[in-house]
Amino acid sequence: MTVFSSSEMASDVFGRLFDVLLEDEQFVEKARREALSVQLVHSKPDCRIFVSSEGVVHGEPPFKAAITLKMTCDTAHALWMGRLLVPAAIATGKVRIRGRIAKVLELVPMLQPAFDSYPAIAAESGVGV
Amino acid sequence: MTVDVPADLSPELNFDTLPPEVRQLKEDARRFAQETVKPLVQQLDQAPAEDFDWDVMRRGHEIGLTRAAVPTDYGGLGLGMLGVATALEEVAAVCPGTALVFGATMLGQAPLLLSGDPRLQARYLPLFSGDEPVLACNAVTEEDAGCDLIIPANAPHARNVMTARRDGDQYVLTGRKRFITNARFAAFASVFANMEGSPGATGLTSFIVPLNLPGVVRGPVADKMGYRACLGSELEFHEVRVPAENMIGGEGEGMPINMAQSNMARAAVAGISTGVARGALEQAVAWAGERVQGGELLRRHQFTAAKLADMTAKVDAARLLYLHAANTVDTQLPPPAYEPAVAKLFADRAAVDVADAALSLVGARGYLRSYGVEKMLRDAYGTRIYEGTPEVLALTITESLYAEDDAE
Repeated sequence: MTVFSSSEMASDVFGRLFDVLLEDEQFVEKARREALSVQLVHSKPDCRIFVSSEGVVHGEPPFKAAITLKMTCDTAHALWMGRLLVPAAIATGKVRIRGRIAKVLELVPMLQPAFDSYPAIAAESGVGV
Repeated sequence: MTVDVPADLSPELNFDTLPPEVRQLKEDARRFAQETVKPLVQQLDQAPAEDFDWDVMRRGHEIGLTRAAVPTDYGGLGLGMLGVATALEEVAAVCPGTALVFGATMLGQAPLLLSGDPRLQARYLPLFSGDEPVLACNAVTEEDAGCDLIIPANAPHARNVMTARRDGDQYVLTGRKRFITNARFAAFASVFANMEGSPGATGLTSFIVPLNLPGVVRGPVADKMGYRACLGSELEFHEVRVPAENMIGGEGEGMPINMAQSNMARAAVAGISTGVARGALEQAVAWAGERVQGGELLRRHQFTAAKLADMTAKVDAARLLYLHAANTVDTQLPPPAYEPAVAKLFADRAAVDVADAALSLVGARGYLRSYGVEKMLRDAYGTRIYEGTPEVLALTITESLYAEDDAE
């Protein structure tokens, strides 16, 4: 049984998560400076979210993202909940990333506000935590 | 074997136009190798095993060789394996041992880079951006466990592996590591230990261990055949208490992390092997261009010309393979196994073949320690061992040939 019952539910939760990041001035500034854009490709259920300093786009991206992260929604949930640690997720291939890895490595520590916010966002949306 | 690298991310894939910052480090590394290392290379090679030249390290540190892969937010160059590998080729063409000091430091940093843990990164990565050089090391190999710690299928059969046990908010590490480059001076080690009670190495776990903690003993330096500018030694851990937050990736997740860091490192080591081959080729070219026999320069003798051409092709092919591997590693996580393994397998063999051919061409003088050709051959054999022997690489490559495409 998967954590998310529909694509809409997953898209809403992960979209709100990235809205949180876009409220973080440090993240936005870095994203703008580095021309950073991220495409999330989630499966089971399918969900695509594009994030840049300009905002969050659901579905097809406006342009090709600099970084693509591919994982199942359950993996994303475990990751944001802190139950699956980033290096293990990456090393075991549960998360697959394409793009300039040096940029990714600089991005990961800036995701802390999202990690902090995710349990509350998930709970509000009725996702089992 | 296809690699899905978005074209717009990799304009340097034609390999003629490296990114400007990579090109800059490569040029700096070449200057460092030629002006700082080259005049000392014989001395570095023939000094006692315990000798270490901090002045050379200091100059390498000044141009960024200790922090080439460290993110710019922590004072590094943020260049990835493409930057590391191309710079290390330049240094290795003169002195592979010196190149490996920097390469091993990068390997010590690798689990931190993979961790994505801002607290750990903020604590350890800025160390490499100070005025003085700081080294790191990666501690995997043990007396009874070499390949058993890098081949997942071997893990249940591993014997006497260093252990870790949780005790409150700490882990207690006990055991001994062998053949650890930089262990003599490193500020910290990335250590892999098996969770107590897990069979073999099935509970392998990664830790960042400051080497000034009570219970850490730096063992004697190994007296090696080559790579004498870098020091390899043992590390003993006697009930060493490490904060739990220094664990990377979770208990039992050490094997995939070790494989991920190995895949990163192999691309860079292939750069070192290419440097060894190139260094030997350059010596052979110089000799064949000035030595006259039978009234002709050696290079005009067809046998010699054929040898030089063959050596050159091997160096060029090795370089293309490691550039491709490094670029692939820099654009994919988890780092792929296939491309770095192919690059290292080929470059390692090229290093031995080209150094052997160079020694043969230079003749009796090549056999003298004062000419430096025999040093390249000794070093070439070392490159073939660390970060994966040909046998281990063959298993990795073959496994990739039979792997099904990722279906996720």
